[in-house]
Amino acid sequence: MTGFRVLKGGILTLVQDTGRLGFQHLGVTRGGPLDARSAYWANRLLDNEPNAAVLEITAGGLEMEAQTQTMVAIAGGDLNLTINGEPQVPWRSFWVRQGDRLKFGTPRYGFRAYLAVSGGFLTEPVLGSRATVVRDRLGGVHGNGRPVQEDDYLPCKHLSEEGISRQIPQNYLPQLGKQITLHLLPGYQQQAFSKAAWKQVFQQEFTLSNDSNRMGARLTGEPIPVPDQEFLSEGVSYGAVQVPASGQPIIMLDDRQTLGGYPKLGNILPLDGFQLAQCAPGAKIRFKPIHLAEAQQQMRRYLRFFGL
Amino acid sequence: MSSESNPLTDRPDLSFAAAGVDALLMQFGQTMDPCLPGFLAQLRQRILSELGDVVHEVVPAYSSLLVYYEPRAVRTFDLEQALEQLSNDVPWLCSPWSTDDNAPGQLVEVPVCYDPRCAPDLDAVMALTKLSAENIIALHKGRDYQVYALGFAPGFAYLGALDEQLQLPRMKNPRTHVPAGAVGIAGQQTAVYPLESPGGWHLIGASPFVWFRADKDPMTPVQVGDRIRFYSIDFDTYESLRAEHDGKQAGIKK
Repeated sequence: MTGFRVLKGGILTLVQDTGRLGFQHLGVTRGGPLDARSAYWANRLLDNEPNAAVLEITAGGLEMEAQTQTMVAIAGGDLNLTINGEPQVPWRSFWVRQGDRLKFGTPRYGFRAYLAVSGGFLTEPVLGSRATVVRDRLGGVHGNGRPVQEDDYLPCKHLSEEGISRQIPQNYLPQLGKQITLHLLPGYQQQAFSKAAWKQVFQQEFTLSNDSNRMGARLTGEPIPVPDQEFLSEGVSYGAVQVPASGQPIIMLDDRQTLGGYPKLGNILPLDGFQLAQCAPGAKIRFKPIHLAEAQQQMRRYLRFFGL
Repeated sequence: MSSESNPLTDRPDLSFAAAGVDALLMQFGQTMDPCLPGFLAQLRQRILSELGDVVHEVVPAYSSLLVYYEPRAVRTFDLEQALEQLSNDVPWLCSPWSTDDNAPGQLVEVPVCYDPRCAPDLDAVMALTKLSAENIIALHKGRDYQVYALGFAPGFAYLGALDEQLQLPRMKNPRTHVPAGAVGIAGQQTAVYPLESPGGWHLIGASPFVWFRADKDPMTPVQVGDRIRFYSIDFDTYESLRAEHDGKQAGIKK
């Protein structure tokens, strides 16, 4: 078996594919890359299947040694990748040889980098997916949801011939900023929130909290008035903005629980969720309303672009 | 099967809510109706078999189904019509659930340690309910619970209904770490956290029961519609059952 040997796991490095589908009724989380668009780009640079497993590298620190020769591609946040000490230009594919050392530093911009390898990382799938969901103890290198760590071995194919190095066109590069606007699609218990609550949602600036993770982005700001009503738990879809009694919203992301009972304002547009995934804690967040038809049209364009 | 049931007489009204670009929430009221789990399980199957080309996944909960669909294959409005039609086609055959041992679904007994070392919120619950620890424990294990939904985490079984005296709102600030096995209460619901996770329920005990195994078929030892009965174990028994675990189905009596 050929692949990469991990020298340092970094802050949080996870094997991800598009996720574990069809088990949410048993409480199994889907998982998947938080910035799915960057993961698709990394795979596309190598002509991989969109579902090929990539590494999601959060905030840097990963070091590994190639024990084979292959093409890799890097997209998403710029985490100051060096190969044998040489700085690399992000958003492109390149050739690595046996013995090459890949080292991710700290974020220059963005927060999560995606590393794809030709043919994808070939870890053992669990329930049909290689996605690592730490809180479900499923997927990843050992199948038990553990993040990538020192001495792990990441299997992949060996390539006999060097491929063409490609770069993502400048105009497709995402805007990675410290201030973002999330389009909010009203839904769920939208009518249970008061006019004053809605006004506050759209007028104030929130801050992305340190407690944020792959499960949910926690925001802090002036507390939003919460409906004086208990709701039964119900299915929670991607991007649901739930408001617990503290009035501080939580945006549910890929590792969210399948069911939840806090009142929800609606859902954010997934395309904005990808941008959110590139924000470090402390980023400033605003909400702006969007209609279902417009939101679906934007998603259609994105899915068509990646042939999904 | 009762022939006299009128499909629309008692069934809570259906309403739809958007749940993002590719999901619709079908809501049948906001009450914990013991007749709903059976109905929703049947409706879920109908949706998957008849609308499988546009619907990917259907996630049942107490009084709702979350329907994940392909917005490029169907207009949301048309899907709502089709879902409404199917929900009227599924008969509302309600035989109110009873504590009778012959009631449908299997009865699964689950051990719980109510020792204060297992129950970080027992004091808070005593203060909020004005009940003694003994009363809280007696009320919690004193009735059988129906499995209303599986979710939140693999194998997390939402159980109801809790005695009215134990019904409390969720915690103002959810905990970021609830240990595996913690027994929580919130509103009319009770459950055991199968894995360490965040959570906002009040913790009044701990259980060594294993709720999910990816390598088993079925993966979950209980299904929606089963019943659960808690029985208490002491701290030492809890510790030894937990240690014995190691992935095994410890402490299940069927």
